[in-house]
Amino acid sequence: MPATLDARIVRELERISGGGSIVRERLELLTYECDALPHMRAEPALVVLPSSAAEIQAIVRICSREGVPFVARGHGTGLSGGALPVPGGVVIGLSRLNRVLDIDVPNRRVTVEPGVTNLEITRRVAPYGYYYAPDPSSQQVCSIGGNVAENSGGAHCLKYGFTTHHVLALDAVMPDGELVHLDSAMAGGTGPDLVGLIVGSEGTLAVVTRAVVRILRRPESVRTLLAAFDSISGAGAAVSDIIAAGIVPGAVEMMDALAIEAAEAAVHPGFPAADAVLIVELDGPEPEVAELFPLAEQICRRTGATSIEVATSDAHRARIWTGRKAAFAAMGRVSPNYYVQDGVVPRTKLPEVLGRVRQLEARCGLRIANVFHAGDGNLHPLICYDEKVPGQADRAVEAAGEILTYCVEAGGSITGEHGVGMDKREFMPKMFTDDDLDVMQRVREAIDPKRLCNPGKVFPTPRLCGEVPGPYREHPTEKAGLAERF
Amino acid sequence: MTASLDTLLQAPILAGARVRAGTDADRIDGVRPRLVVEPRTAEETAALLAWASRERLTVVFRGGGTKLGWGRVPTAVDLLVSLRGLNRVLAHEHADLTATVEAGATLEEFNASLGRHRQWLPVDPAGDEATVGGAVATNDTGPLRHRYGTPRDLLIGVRLATADGRLVKAGGSVVKNVAGYDLGRLVSGSFGSLAALVGATFKLLPMPASSHTLSVTFHDKDRAAAAVTRLNDSQLEPTAMELQARRTATGAVAPAGREGPPYVLLVRFATSPAAAAAQVEQARALVGDGEAITGDGEAALWRRYQRRASASAGTVIRMSWLPAALAQVLALVEEVGRTEGSVELVARAGIGTGLLRIDGGVDWQIATVERLRARTETVAHVTIQDAPPEVKAKVDVWGSPGAEESVASAIKRALDPVGILNAGRGPV
Repeated sequence: MPATLDARIVRELERISGGGSIVRERLELLTYECDALPHMRAEPALVVLPSSAAEIQAIVRICSREGVPFVARGHGTGLSGGALPVPGGVVIGLSRLNRVLDIDVPNRRVTVEPGVTNLEITRRVAPYGYYYAPDPSSQQVCSIGGNVAENSGGAHCLKYGFTTHHVLALDAVMPDGELVHLDSAMAGGTGPDLVGLIVGSEGTLAVVTRAVVRILRRPESVRTLLAAFDSISGAGAAVSDIIAAGIVPGAVEMMDALAIEAAEAAVHPGFPAADAVLIVELDGPEPEVAELFPLAEQICRRTGATSIEVATSDAHRARIWTGRKAAFAAMGRVSPNYYVQDGVVPRTKLPEVLGRVRQLEARCGLRIANVFHAGDGNLHPLICYDEKVPGQADRAVEAAGEILTYCVEAGGSITGEHGVGMDKREFMPKMFTDDDLDVMQRVREAIDPKRLCNPGKVFPTPRLCGEVPGPYREHPTEKAGLAERF
Repeated sequence: MTASLDTLLQAPILAGARVRAGTDADRIDGVRPRLVVEPRTAEETAALLAWASRERLTVVFRGGGTKLGWGRVPTAVDLLVSLRGLNRVLAHEHADLTATVEAGATLEEFNASLGRHRQWLPVDPAGDEATVGGAVATNDTGPLRHRYGTPRDLLIGVRLATADGRLVKAGGSVVKNVAGYDLGRLVSGSFGSLAALVGATFKLLPMPASSHTLSVTFHDKDRAAAAVTRLNDSQLEPTAMELQARRTATGAVAPAGREGPPYVLLVRFATSPAAAAAQVEQARALVGDGEAITGDGEAALWRRYQRRASASAGTVIRMSWLPAALAQVLALVEEVGRTEGSVELVARAGIGTGLLRIDGGVDWQIATVERLRARTETVAHVTIQDAPPEVKAKVDVWGSPGAEESVASAIKRALDPVGILNAGRGPV
């Protein structure tokens, strides 16, 4: 694979959308070297910033013809290295495709380009009393294109599902440059669900150029409580009992002591000092919420809540949620660096797996905060480390890997919403057999026979030359004295 | 391909298998399968497929047999593989709201088992014998779609037997999981043309504690459509919202099995007791007075409704539309029904999809399908669910392929290189 692109190809890419749409300066390329998983970096040959589907199509056609790998990138908030460039390849930055094309309230659908942010959709339809349900913590900045690639979730998945439940149709440029419209949602669902295949394929099957998403009517009533517990298992029991009572909450979130401490330091949500806090939110028609919310409250008390705070206004609710949504970024207040993982366990196995995480914490000498979507067993351990201390970064990555192993052993998954990307592809064989992976790869090769569309991600393929797995290490060009790191 | 029946029956793979020659009762659109095989395990199913691929034998899967008429007329069916033998509930993790079941279990059996913990899989296709596998393969459900979506929305893991005889899985047994490709969604709606679904894991829901249905009738289609719009715009959360409309050449008449006005709207609320009762009253205030039914009467109403939905002498067309275009769809139904025979729309009115049962002369049925397909400004995805062979001979069941056809075909070639699965019945 060429470390740099042939000048002829560069000129051709420039012609597509004008020179101003190409990023080639090393300093500017730095932005694109990684996504929100900063310990994995790679330098692309160049970044193209197309403004239309037709331009994307032209770019992909050139890449396909010339055998140049390409990686689509939204706003770079991914946490698994899904948008990590292929060294010497092309990055297709979708930030300029950021228009909301159609808001169709009567039919409850919105058509957007991939660079539109998640929250923008809700902002645009809120005046009509509607919202877009998937709400990853990064929703203010993450793009819909990225959400589609990763099948992003959020805090409200248990009741409302993931991105895949809310995408009605896609326009996508396939790896051979064909622009197709895929629409499987409106029909009675006849024919293989290609939209469902592409959502969550982590950019390895197509470059999405347009998405039609479903919007939901705002629930008539939303009630939120914050309960403090003096043990994680007490909080876990509350969650189990709420579910067992036949209540499907809009959201159930849990944070442990270290995560609470960090959130308090960063955004002061007024969380009580406790070993665990639980945020329980019920939404729906007023009579339903009025009937079930007191039940949920009672269950929290019965399972040992030391205090319960019920949100009395929208502002109050927003403050509680700020504490939760800021939890990742807040870790910066208690640790110089942190590494966030994303594993899933059956909800009933939470206490057991968290017990193992505590033992691991003692063994590896790194503090581990835990923030999780407790309703669906999706845990986000945040492993604190200091990159200046030799060996700590490696230990953090090892500890994260161990936690994923616990998840798989408990019958769970190595990723609930962040994707496999580059970060976790070596863990795929823990969940899937060679045959499982081979069948998935066959599907991939049917669509991308040249393996140019975000290659090296998801599957534990032999490493391509120049890829830098694991914590940051010198880029080969750096080592050779050809480049320096800024 | 042309091995004699006796030669086939002597194949070592069939030694000890539950196998017999196909009979007239097994016919699919008049085509009699040569052999009917009922594997006992997923492993046997996979081995059977490997053999079929090697011998180039075409395969059609059968669950409860309730949807066997769906699809193109097969060219020839060598093996009809019944998956009814795979009918165990493998796990019910009630505290995690998940369950794993073999494909051949009927939804009724599965839900009876889940009901012990007051949970259910809210998938309700017509036909008492409908199996889990059949519902996933066709991505078919019933009125509950309004609230719970189609089977693929509840599917969190699949176990597949591939055409080359491997048993593979995708997804998992936790409700949130994005590791690997979502092959469960890929095979949903593929009608067994990509692989055999041998097992599935679902996200479950608590069984609602209470249910009420409001039945409202209308003489006028615009009033009926306006009622649906008002419900859709409200913050009520119905479990089902069905609109029936019937028209014959002589005028609008009550839907089959009913008397009175031609438009019948059924709105169901299944939730906690006070909330279900309160929402029915709120709905009544929005759409006009009707009969509110609960308890055994309500259950019987929906059972009757479902049974009728599956029975038709003519052609059953499946189609979809934008929810706000309901009034135009009702006008189209009226326009079509005026010409000949009788037409009856059974609509998932809130989401814009439904079945149109048409009964009349064969030529008229064919013309009606073509007419609907031409009306792209009003209806989309006009496919034939069930039709007499004479109709299927003249119009393609699936309609003209869209732009995605090349992608779907490439996947088909990758997973079923010999092209044995579903015997040319489509959709890929």
